[in-house]
Formats: sequence, structure tokens, C-alpha cells
Amino acid sequence: MFYRDRKEWADLEPVPQDDGPNPVVKIAYSEKFSDVYDYFRALLKKDERSDRAFALTAEAIELNAANYTVWHYRRVLLQALQKDLREEMRYITDIIEEQPKNYQVWHHRRMVVEWLNDPSEELEFIADILSQDAKNYHAWQHRQWVIQEYKLWDNELEFVEKLLEEDVRNNSVWNQRHFVISHTTGYSSPAILDREVQYCLNQIRKAPHNESAWNYLKGILQDRGMSSHPGLLEQVLELKETHCSPYLLAFLVDCYEDALENNNQKETLNRALEVCEYLAQEKDTIRKEYWLFLQRSLESRFGPSFDPTVNYCAVYY
Amino acid sequence: MNAPEKVLEEFEQIDFLRDRHVRFFQRTLQVLPERYASLETTRLTVMFFAVSGLDVLDALDVIDRNNMIEWIYSLQVLPTEDQSNLSRCGFRGSSHIGIPYSVKGPGVLHPYDSGHVAMTYTGLTSLLILGDDLSRVNKQACLAGLKALQLEDGSFCAVPEGSENDIRFIYCAACICYMLDDWSGMDIQKAIEYIRGSMSYDNGFGQGAGLESHGGWTFCAIASLCLMGRLEEALSQRELDRIRRWCIMRQQSGFHGRPNKPVDTCYSFWVGATLELLDVFQYTNYEKNRNYILSTQDRLVGGFAKWPDSHPDPLHAYLGLCGLSLIGEPNLRKVHPALNITQRAFQHLQQLQQTWRDNAGTCT
Repeated sequence: MFYRDRKEWADLEPVPQDDGPNPVVKIAYSEKFSDVYDYFRALLKKDERSDRAFALTAEAIELNAANYTVWHYRRVLLQALQKDLREEMRYITDIIEEQPKNYQVWHHRRMVVEWLNDPSEELEFIADILSQDAKNYHAWQHRQWVIQEYKLWDNELEFVEKLLEEDVRNNSVWNQRHFVISHTTGYSSPAILDREVQYCLNQIRKAPHNESAWNYLKGILQDRGMSSHPGLLEQVLELKETHCSPYLLAFLVDCYEDALENNNQKETLNRALEVCEYLAQEKDTIRKEYWLFLQRSLESRFGPSFDPTVNYCAVYY
Repeated sequence: MNAPEKVLEEFEQIDFLRDRHVRFFQRTLQVLPERYASLETTRLTVMFFAVSGLDVLDALDVIDRNNMIEWIYSLQVLPTEDQSNLSRCGFRGSSHIGIPYSVKGPGVLHPYDSGHVAMTYTGLTSLLILGDDLSRVNKQACLAGLKALQLEDGSFCAVPEGSENDIRFIYCAACICYMLDDWSGMDIQKAIEYIRGSMSYDNGFGQGAGLESHGGWTFCAIASLCLMGRLEEALSQRELDRIRRWCIMRQQSGFHGRPNKPVDTCYSFWVGATLELLDVFQYTNYEKNRNYILSTQDRLVGGFAKWPDSHPDPLHAYLGLCGLSLIGEPNLRKVHPALNITQRAFQHLQQLQQTWRDNAGTCT
């Protein structure tokens, strides 16, 4: 039954949308939709704080869960009417399960968790959402917020390992791994760093064509000296024979570049230039022009001071 | 090196259906069916996609610019008589709150009426694209509204009532300040700190500190720094090189937004524009990029979708066109990679800003 026909709502004058004489991007709403929102707008105008208003917000949300004004008004009512926040958690759980890629619903959940100061359901809830879409950005964002806010670090590395076993190529999980370790043990201790390096290499042996693993490896070493980690270059050169990939080769170039910065040797430069050539011509041809550009840059930075074949007009970057 | 003209000759077999796209945007600007209800509060951004899309297609003549300009101005949240709502000023996304239509002030007092940072941004860009001179924009009110949205950590919320806060809204804020030629609306230093803090271990940018790096957020980071004129102050050469590498690895055929995710037409712009701002877009593979974007073209209704054989939508239609513009597709206007409007609209902005500066000099 339309709100306009309900006698308990007769005291309210519905407020239509007014786009003027030339509406743009107008959405053609059904009568039912307009009816609900005309009454929503009426409540909003008077800033009514009542149970009927609260009930109507649920209907408005069902029709458009992306309307942030409806969510804000609902929060105002939750507080003004001292509504049961546990029940609200159940409500928002259902909505997020239905619409897990909506910004407003996650923000609302965060607010309710904060008001309750109770994160106890969060990790399990988020795990459930991730079981349906393991890369849902909102879910990971909410998870990081909960963990950091309420210091729930203890079991997260275990969670990460479990998900990496399910899909070692899930970039969101590798990111979470870095998040957990950098906020707990950190990477400064040689034992941890070495553990992580070996972990990466093991995952690469299992699935060589995995940019996420290589990005993680480079990420944890790039400011600690890629070429100075004991035995790493040798391990990578070994892997090159049996588990090659564009990512391995790019990593190799970066190792050589790091080595050159500390000790400019012609032999090292030649190896770096060779790998760039190999990438450009054979192993990563989609980025051919980039690898050739990188080759020129390395030559210009580390090569002999004058080389007639180098174009000095090409700016380094 | 890519010689775009020669390369395009060779692979023009996939044809670009210009007229279909013009009609797609025209229809977008008219009426959308109810299943688009979730776009209600963001209708102004949808208008931006269509209007800027038509500009890229050099087809703005098919619409009534003046009527559209009026509609945009009706969305401006203006100061009330007593100016008590200054921190809530800006532009609305639509008429969804129910304020009666009006293109001039003073503002109407309403407990829940306020601007939204992404709508203020797309409202201003749309006005510029349509040729307006922004003379009816209350610039000081917009900037006051913007200032109220920045948090201690440098990021922005979308609305004064509160919302999630992240790097998207820093980008919107940077665009607003850039267009209004007035950076008093934001604390640049704090924003730069937030942006730097969003850089991931893998050298892309996430939505905030600790979050997974992503093509869209990387665009927001780099484009914001470029608009602020602080790119090389905020990031070292080494960091810039690492960011270049992260971005260029996103090309698979078209581009994806995160490692090990499928490609999606819109990243041809988000990542493509970022690469252009970093001077290395020229080293990408134009042919594969173009082939992918065109494979997502809807040959019947026009527009582009994220994937082939999927439904087109205004966002992907617009960004698909921008992606093609970046590689030099013939008959498409060039796009300013940071501000995301055509160079033509950008020149209009520059002329306007020159006028403002001249007037400021001669004003009493």
C-alpha cells in the first residue's frame, strides 16, 4: 500500500524531487519508488525522529542502498531512538551479504561496530564475504581497519597462509601478509627477512608466473639492498633455468641495478642490458619499448662516459 | 618506438562506431530506467561522463548546453541568508533531498542539505566543458565546504555529515582547487603526507596506508600531485621509476587494476593517464590496448563495457574513449591526463583563470 494512502501518514505532505524544466540524467521511477522517497524527503525536511521514520529508511535502503543520505538519517535515528545496535548488526550483515561492493553499507557497519565497541564478529564475517569474492577491496579495507583499531593481529598471519594455499596468486592476500608482518614483527630482523624471502621463493617454485609473489619479494628487499641479501642472486639465477617469467627477469634487472649503484662494474651492466634485451625481444614483448627504454637508461647512468651510439638527448626518465 | 599513425593504419579493422557512442551519451543525458536507481545521488557524475564523452567525440553540438548549465547550477548548495551553512556548501549530486529547483541564492535552510566533494568536482568540470564561465559559482563557499571535509591525516570525506575517507576525495579536492585556482581549500602538505603514506611495498598506491595498490588509486595519487605541482617534490626519482614500473606492468592486453586480476576497459584510462603523466605511456603497446578497448565496444547500443560481451555503462563508455584518445585514435579530442577533461575545455579554463587574475589586479 502506498504511503500516500496510509492514514497514519496523512499528517505528512510528500515532497517530490524537483529537477526543474530540463532535468538531466533523469531516472524513471515507478510509482512505488517515488512514493517511498517522497515520504522520505518529507521526513528529512522536518528531521522527524520516530519509529515510523526508522522503518521507512529500511524501505528506502531496499530500493537504493547507495543513497548515503538515507544511511546518515538512519544513523541519526538509531541514536535518537536508542535502537538495538545488535539488531542493527544483524541487519547490516544481511545487506552487505547482498551488496558487498557498496561503499555506504561498509561505512555503516564500521559506525555500528564503533558505537558497540565490539569487533568480535568482524573477522568471521569478513572471512565469509571473502569466501564469496576473495579480492573484495571493501572487505579487505574493513578487515585492516578492525585489526588495526582493535589490535586483532594474533591469528591474521595464519589466515593469510590459509588463503595463499587456496590461491597463491591472490594479490590482496600478499598485501595482507605485508600488512600483518610490517605491523607486528617488522622485517628488520635477518631471521624474519630470510624466512619471508624463502617463503616467496617456495611459492614461486610452485607457481612461477605470479607477479604478486615477485612484487612482495622485491618490496621487502628494495630498500634493504636487493643485491646484498646472501645467496639470493644465485637462487634467482637457478630459478631462471626452470621457473622463468617476466617477473623473475625484471627482478634480476633490479638486482643488477642495485649492484651497480654500489659498485659500477662493466660485467654487471652487461648482464643487466642483456636481460633487458631478452625481455624486450622474447619474454615480455608487450613491454618491448619500456625494456628498451630501461636499457638505454641503465647504459646512460652506468655506461662509459662517452658512447657515440647513445643518444644523450634522451632524458634519463 | 610506437609511431601511432602508422600502427593505427595497420589495425583499423576493428571499427570505432562514433555515431553509436554519440547516441549512447545522448540517451544517458535524457532518461535512465529505474534499474539505475543506485546512481541517483551521483547523477552529476553520470552527466560529466556523458558531457565530457561528447566533448572527446567533438559532438557537444547535439545537446542543449544552456539548459544543462541551468540544471547544474540548480544543484549548487549556496550559503543561506545568515551564512550558517558555509561548511556545507558545494554541489549536490542530484535533487534527491527535495530542495525546490532554484538556480540562484540565497540557499535554503535544510537540516540535511550539503554538497558532496565528487559532485562539486564534476559540477565544475561539467560547467567548464559546456562553456560556462563559472561566474555563478560561489567560489568562497565551495572552498569553505571543501576545507570542512579534510581530516587530520590529510585525506578527505565526501560530505560534512561524515563518510568514508580516502584518496579518491583528495583527487576531487585537488581538481576543485586547481579549477578555482585557489588552494586555500586544502592543506596541501597533509594531503601529500596521506598520498605518500598510501604507497604500497609494491610501489603502486592503495586507497590508504596498508591497502592494496590499485590502478584507480594510483591515478588519484599521481594526478593529485601533478595538479598540486608537487610531483617531484613529493616523490624521489627512484620512487617515480618504481611507480612507472608498477604501472607499466598493468598492461596485459588492455590494462587491469591490480596484479592477477582481469583487464577492464576503464584502466586503459586510469593507468594510461598515470603513465602519460609519468612520461612513459609512449612505451606501452598501443595496438593491444586499442584492440582490447574496442573488443568491449557495444556495437548495438554504443558505449563500452568493462569486459567484452557485457553491458555498457556511462563510466566505461567515457573512460574507454579517453583510453583511445590517449593512444591517439583519430577524430577524438586530446584529454588532459590529470584533470580528465579535453585539452579544449582545459584551454577554456586557462583563459578564464587569466581573466580572473587580470580582474583581481584591476579590482578596487
